[in-house]
Amino acid sequence: ALNAPASKRKEKEPFALDFAVPMSQALADALYTPASSTSIISLPKAQWKSKTRNLLPDDKHFNSRQLLRLFLKPKASMGSRKTGTS
Amino acid sequence: VTLRKLQEICCYEPAEPRKQQQQLDREYDEVDFNAEVCRCVLRTLTVKKSEPVGDRLVKFLGLFLKNASEKDNAIFANPDADTTDAFPETPTSRLTSEILSQALQVITAKDKVVRYRVTQIVAHIVNTLDSIDDELFQFVRLALMKRLRDKESIVRVQAVLGLGRLADENEDDQDNDDSDDDAGGVLDRLREALQHDPSADVRRALLLNLPFTPGTLPYLLERARDLDAATRRALYSRLLPALGDFRHLSLTHREKLLRWGMRDRDENVRKATARLFRERWIEDCAASHQTEGEEEEQEKAQQKSHEPNLDALLELLERIDVVNSGVEGGIAHEAMKEFWDGRPDYRDYISFEDPFFDTLTPESAFVARTFNQYCRQSKEVKLQSMLEDKMPEVTKFAFLLQRHLEALIKGVEKVALDPEDAEAEEETVQQEFCVEQMLHIALTLDYSDEMGRRKMFSIMRETLALAELPEECTRLIVEILRTVCADEQEFCSIVLEAVAEVHDTIMGDAGEKEAEDVDESFHSARSEQTDSTPTKASKRPQTATSETSQDDEDKAIREIMVNMKCLHIAQCMLQNVQCDLERNVHLVTMLNNLVVPAVRSQEAPIRERGLCCLGLCCMLSKNLANENLTLFLHCFSKGHEALQVIAIQIITDILTTQPSLLAPPPSTEEEETELPNPLLKPIYKMYSRGLRSEETQVQTTACTALSKLMLASTIRDPDLLKQLVLAYFDPETRSNPSLRQSLTYFLPVYCHSRRANAVSMARVAVPIMRALAERADDLDEEEEMVGMSMVAAQIADWTDPRKEAGFGEGKDSGAEDGHLVLAEELLEKVLTPGCTKEERKIFVTLLGKLHVNVNAPAEALQTIADLVNEAFEGKVASEVSTRNALT
Repeated sequence: ALNAPASKRKEKEPFALDFAVPMSQALADALYTPASSTSIISLPKAQWKSKTRNLLPDDKHFNSRQLLRLFLKPKASMGSRKTGTS
Repeated sequence: VTLRKLQEICCYEPAEPRKQQQQLDREYDEVDFNAEVCRCVLRTLTVKKSEPVGDRLVKFLGLFLKNASEKDNAIFANPDADTTDAFPETPTSRLTSEILSQALQVITAKDKVVRYRVTQIVAHIVNTLDSIDDELFQFVRLALMKRLRDKESIVRVQAVLGLGRLADENEDDQDNDDSDDDAGGVLDRLREALQHDPSADVRRALLLNLPFTPGTLPYLLERARDLDAATRRALYSRLLPALGDFRHLSLTHREKLLRWGMRDRDENVRKATARLFRERWIEDCAASHQTEGEEEEQEKAQQKSHEPNLDALLELLERIDVVNSGVEGGIAHEAMKEFWDGRPDYRDYISFEDPFFDTLTPESAFVARTFNQYCRQSKEVKLQSMLEDKMPEVTKFAFLLQRHLEALIKGVEKVALDPEDAEAEEETVQQEFCVEQMLHIALTLDYSDEMGRRKMFSIMRETLALAELPEECTRLIVEILRTVCADEQEFCSIVLEAVAEVHDTIMGDAGEKEAEDVDESFHSARSEQTDSTPTKASKRPQTATSETSQDDEDKAIREIMVNMKCLHIAQCMLQNVQCDLERNVHLVTMLNNLVVPAVRSQEAPIRERGLCCLGLCCMLSKNLANENLTLFLHCFSKGHEALQVIAIQIITDILTTQPSLLAPPPSTEEEETELPNPLLKPIYKMYSRGLRSEETQVQTTACTALSKLMLASTIRDPDLLKQLVLAYFDPETRSNPSLRQSLTYFLPVYCHSRRANAVSMARVAVPIMRALAERADDLDEEEEMVGMSMVAAQIADWTDPRKEAGFGEGKDSGAEDGHLVLAEELLEKVLTPGCTKEERKIFVTLLGKLHVNVNAPAEALQTIADLVNEAFEGKVASEVSTRNALT
């Protein structure tokens, strides 16, 4: 049942973790230093609520066509405009 | 030591002995073993997130615990099958408890890596194991809830993974009625986080890990508009396909999801939505339309797609309410375009053989119309010839169309006779939709077939003269007439004949009435007359006593209806002509007999429509336009909102087609002393007033209108440009997203399309920033405004010469550019005594961001250098940043 890990292929990463050695001080510090207050490790309250609920505004799909057509004759284009040089 | 080795340590040394321990009767001490495993677990906690080994260790731990507990359970279950109703305590459960309690002790560690790993381990254990000690479970839940508010998003994601499972279980508990409010607590908090968590990763994790329940669904679906594109995509590509049959969603949800997804700003979301529609939703429908024999196969082919099926496609369209979503600009068009694009099997399968057009439904009509459109717009010759093979030829199509038009007119008459008949009304709405689809197809047909062209021509000509014809059909028929008529002269005369006929059919009736009014003894006869030609306008007088006043009222209403109908046809016609008005005798007659009286009418709707027609006429005649511009200006200043919008539109269209109307009177260019065109001032004033209108419609129209004219360089007024930019940043326009989004599009396009535009922007930049700073000072409490540094950054971007169209092609590199002008303006402002400290700070920072072109004209550079030196002497600016501007 436990042969799954054994069948794993050799790892290329140089990363190593020695379980045998006794715990170093640094490790112990990291593990057992609790946060001095919950606020330090928590999300600030201001960020609990988002005004927009993280939603996009309504898209109006504005595009160049709307600038290039007539209001009253939407089918007729405005023809070629001169662009570029000033 | 490699991963493999550490795994060996983990499983062969402690684990194997432990397994033996169960069989070999405590050869090793369980306590020792558990302590050893916990020690190893602690070791893994400092493994960074980026290290895949860490994830594998966590997985390994979970796998190990799962296997071990299964084995344990097997051992314990067998001997005393009767007594182990409750969750048995086993060596593995004791080990799990120990690991969890260890983990919970360090879950609030200061180190974020540790918190991440611990939360991951806890979440993973929760997700892999079936049961956890009850008491401990409460602590786990609490700890995870706290981590849901962790500062680090990576920790919150892990907490979500753990809590998702808990929320799921609690939901079940609720059904069993034995849970307290903790259950709702978890779910509530998760739902809240789904809406409010600032990190998209967390929201996405929630989206994919919350259970689907009626309580969560609205929250999940709302993510279709999440700020983050990947989250939106996850909804369309993963959540919705997993959700099961889409028909369980409400119609509103289906429509919204489709619309949002298909028109998303992110291409991948759009693709995911298209796939959802044409691969999942259609299959949901197809599955229920399978024939008996296929049902057995269905089991096997669960994942495979079903055979193309017309009924399924029709159901799919019905499920997205095609009568509403299939109107012009509706989402069903995009959906079907994607459908045809991604389903060649349906393209081959579809057939419009004879019974198809005889028995049309809105859905089948829409299938034909979208297929026709898809093939016509495709550049592939194969698709176009495929369409020709499938579609009926023009003459036949014309006959079919005629039959459906007749049915529609009958329906309209029926509804007019009995407005209470809901069924008849519904049928007519559907028939109208079908006819519209057929007319759209008719617009694309090839009329080189003379027989077909004539047939279509006569049908369209006859139908147009029917007063009962609904407006949208009228519009389409006028367009078809334009394509089948040889020239505009013929087209205009044909359409105006129809207008006269419509006028006569309805007014002829009324005319008789008028004559009868003289002789009051003909009451009954008149009533019958009215019945014989029923129209929307005709209403039979109810009682004899009130008849005279009723008649007057009826007559007035009828007159309005007639006028509206005639003006509508005229308007549709005018939209399709380009000739010189004065050379077309039909048009001149129409203008004098129909349009001019309408403009003078007392009835607001008639006057508005008359103005639109007059506006369209003005586009065909410069003289007419010149005479009437003041009239339209008057409409804007005196009219209500709807009229203001129309006035802006007309004036803008006129100026767009005839920009020379604004030219200075004796047009010899570049003469400074020349008087400006007297129209300029009132027209500028109109736009300026429109931009400041309270009415969003007016405001948006003015903004779009002005954008067009400025892009075309018809209007170059710097003050109007300034007003546009101010409107863009003003907090009040936040409630008008149309305005904001059109300016988001327009401003960079305007500035980057021509150098002169960028220079104009640079010239007004300083006053703009000043005005905005003042605006920011007296904000209402509720209002929020972008910071000045954002404004400055925007302006720097707009005026950046490197972003100009055609930059680097060597054109006019010697001229002044946006940044050069901006630098000069800013420096001059900095040097004026009135410049405040904050302003100076913003300006100087902005200076530092400007790009000075090496090819810039020497004198301009010299001016700037002088100004910089002056600034040094006055010690007004931080030297470093100012100097940077010149390098």
